[in-house]
Amino acid sequence: MVGLSIGEKYFIQGGIAQDLRTDGRKRLSPRPIFVETGNISQSNGSARVRIGATEVIASVKAELGRPSALHPDKGKVSINVDCSPTAAPMFEGRGGEELSSELSVALQRCLLGGKSGSGAGIDLSSLAIVEGKICWDLYIEGLVVSSDGNLLDALGAAIKAALSNTGIPRVNVAAGASGDEQPEVDISDEEFLQFDTSKVPVIVTLTKVGRHYIVDATSEEESQMSLAVSISVNRQGNICGLTKRGGAGLDPSVILDMISVALSVSERLINTLDSQRAAAEAGKDEL
Amino acid sequence: MEFVSPEGLRLDGRRPMEMRQIRAEIGVVAKADGSAMFEMGNTKVVAAVYGPREVQNRSQQLNANALVRCEYTMANFSTGDRMRKPKGDRRSTEISLVIRQTMEECILTNLMPRSQIDIFVQVLQADGGTRSACINAATLALADAGIPMRDIVTSCSAGYLNSTPLLDLNYIEDSAGGTDVTLGIMPKLDKVTLLQMDAKLSLDTFENVMQLAIEGCKAVADYIREILLENTKQLQYRRGT
Repeated sequence: MVGLSIGEKYFIQGGIAQDLRTDGRKRLSPRPIFVETGNISQSNGSARVRIGATEVIASVKAELGRPSALHPDKGKVSINVDCSPTAAPMFEGRGGEELSSELSVALQRCLLGGKSGSGAGIDLSSLAIVEGKICWDLYIEGLVVSSDGNLLDALGAAIKAALSNTGIPRVNVAAGASGDEQPEVDISDEEFLQFDTSKVPVIVTLTKVGRHYIVDATSEEESQMSLAVSISVNRQGNICGLTKRGGAGLDPSVILDMISVALSVSERLINTLDSQRAAAEAGKDEL
Repeated sequence: MEFVSPEGLRLDGRRPMEMRQIRAEIGVVAKADGSAMFEMGNTKVVAAVYGPREVQNRSQQLNANALVRCEYTMANFSTGDRMRKPKGDRRSTEISLVIRQTMEECILTNLMPRSQIDIFVQVLQADGGTRSACINAATLALADAGIPMRDIVTSCSAGYLNSTPLLDLNYIEDSAGGTDVTLGIMPKLDKVTLLQMDAKLSLDTFENVMQLAIEGCKAVADYIREILLENTKQLQYRRGT
């Protein structure tokens, strides 16, 4: 919990009103973001993202499973977030569960689309192997190691980076299985399929403090917010999901304004993520 | 199964008395009062220390000593197979207790009465020896938080497989069913603070295995001292003296 005096609160609010925040940033400038991929060797793909003092880890595990009866041609993806007590003592025991589920649901809404899986940022049909019989189940796990605000954006970026790092083994299906039989599959140890992550959205959260809204709020700034709108946008400029947190009301025209701002911010964010990924891959090739 | 090849090499290519590569980093969690990351081969843990601070739950307050609390959590992705474990299962509760007791012993709790020190350890990757790695990380985090301690506590495990004493077991060797001795020592005072062992062993072999674990702990202690010294030099440099 952030404990601030009245003077500090006024300082933060006043700074935001004058477009100069406590760490010297402007209202719409984010903190630098650092991405590191492939650091959890037990999973199919993983990434660690650091934004200021916020640090999150995302890991992707792929398992073979049965597609649901309603959508036989699609795989399944589940997103789960955990808040480690290392990030804040209040997450100890069951203390982090409320925030964890809030983040998980927001991420599901922003990345997985509707219940039917339509409009999902992750292409679910690419996870199908044999229609109605076998598909890949992706388990995306997020972990908040250190928290200094803007967790949702960090988790969104980490998941995107982890998915681009994910290698799904190539599967050979033995021919000849027919009818209700479960076909035999052979999972390759050597060949991996890269996941197409060009359509996976990033999340931009705009936090409203006073009369203005800011991007990439720190936890001090978040303690002063009246509301926050998280907008997930992909490279094509489509809005993939929206979540509003906080109780205060918002003028509909302001929402449209926020979305257009989020579009321009997300474009920069996607470019940063892509260039970091390219740099990391180039670094690996040299080794 | 053969855990030591005729050439005297283990499954991961180590010699019986060889430790996995250890790596440590101080100050990984910016918001905590003290924090550290500790790696032993593929095992990777993060520890964060909050405190000494006001006691959160007044009924637990001790008038003569500081209250030391510890929580051990494993990330869902830390193990090879994916499983959802409820928070606070028996294993984590036991490890939390073990870490708490070990660390409490070395902290000078009498200097900070009516206050509370929280130690949180988070396992990011588990490949055997998480208990030892957690204790080593907690020691570093406590030192980083500037909490007065009698001595550092370091820990290392040793086992006995194929009638060979092995140092620093990994997950495969750990789950092979042989003996597993986890030892924690305070190297300067030369005292054992933690000793856990399962499976049976003759007295003579136990002596050998324990001696091996002590050697391991001392090697870890040397490394931890080096890291702490390096960190202190950095702090001194930043201060400009």
